[in-house]
Amino acid sequence: MENNLDLIELQKTLRDSGVLITFSGRFTQEIIEELGEAVKKYLETDATSLNDTYNVFSVFIEQTQNIRNYTVKQAGSPLAEQIANSGVLVIGKLNTGYFVSSGNLVAAPDVEPLVSQLEEIKLQDKAGLRKMYKEKLRKKLPEGSSSAGLGLIDMARKACQELNYSIVKVDEEVCFFSLQVRV
Amino acid sequence: MDDLFIAQTKSTPNILFEPQKAKLSIEGQSYPENAFKFYEPIFVWMDEYLAQLKEDAVLEIYFHMPYINTSSSKCMMMLFEKLEEAHEAGKTVNIRWYYDQDNEIALDCAEEFKEDLTVPFEIIPLADEATKDGQ
Repeated sequence: MENNLDLIELQKTLRDSGVLITFSGRFTQEIIEELGEAVKKYLETDATSLNDTYNVFSVFIEQTQNIRNYTVKQAGSPLAEQIANSGVLVIGKLNTGYFVSSGNLVAAPDVEPLVSQLEEIKLQDKAGLRKMYKEKLRKKLPEGSSSAGLGLIDMARKACQELNYSIVKVDEEVCFFSLQVRV
Repeated sequence: MDDLFIAQTKSTPNILFEPQKAKLSIEGQSYPENAFKFYEPIFVWMDEYLAQLKEDAVLEIYFHMPYINTSSSKCMMMLFEKLEEAHEAGKTVNIRWYYDQDNEIALDCAEEFKEDLTVPFEIIPLADEATKDGQ
């Protein structure tokens, strides 16, 4: 067989890691909407409360839209295609609750600002996060902005543990960024 | 001014602005690809409407948004700031935010919006699906 992907093995890996839903590839708004609605329907039957459903759903939306927005911003760069196709998203369930993880390639110069933003968020307790969120919510945005910069703070507020991220260098030009949020 | 109507999609709310009745309603979840682009026409419309709103008129605004993403929240805040300004200028604006009673996220969201505003802002729980249709 040409394609020797072992589906049984793949399924076992997904099951063992608690994966409920996963998507790998290019995120478009349509895919985000379709997956999002599927996630919500699934959680409505599985989750213990409406709040769990909306917490998972909103972390899913913020993560996928962050990837999507980053991809849109890269348009025209020589790395655009490579970055656009690098997205991956996983929603899973552990004994302790749900997790939403995502990953994508990030151009080397963008890594440092991302890390410093995440580290600043990690220093905050829930009250600090609330304050940060409210300040950003009220701050005037520069003309033509397409992002309020609230996504990561919002995810941290909805998480039951601090944000967990990693940066792995792929080559001189890009790193693979991954983020796990426990809800 | 003419009515403004934007039909609901999976990621954008139903928007109905009826200047003759002095009513605006925004209903449905909101997570468009570009919230700023989506809400821009509503901002323009609101600026124009508030500029001509008479002091004896009452503008009623009704929200029922089970889920809004962060960039839509930012847009809502921008809308509330316009209403706050009109309120400070002596115009009458009533905001009513409905939420499904077991949806704590929608409640928290409304409370955070309301916190620093002085414009009348009522937060109202909806008991169940049946009640909602009657609003």
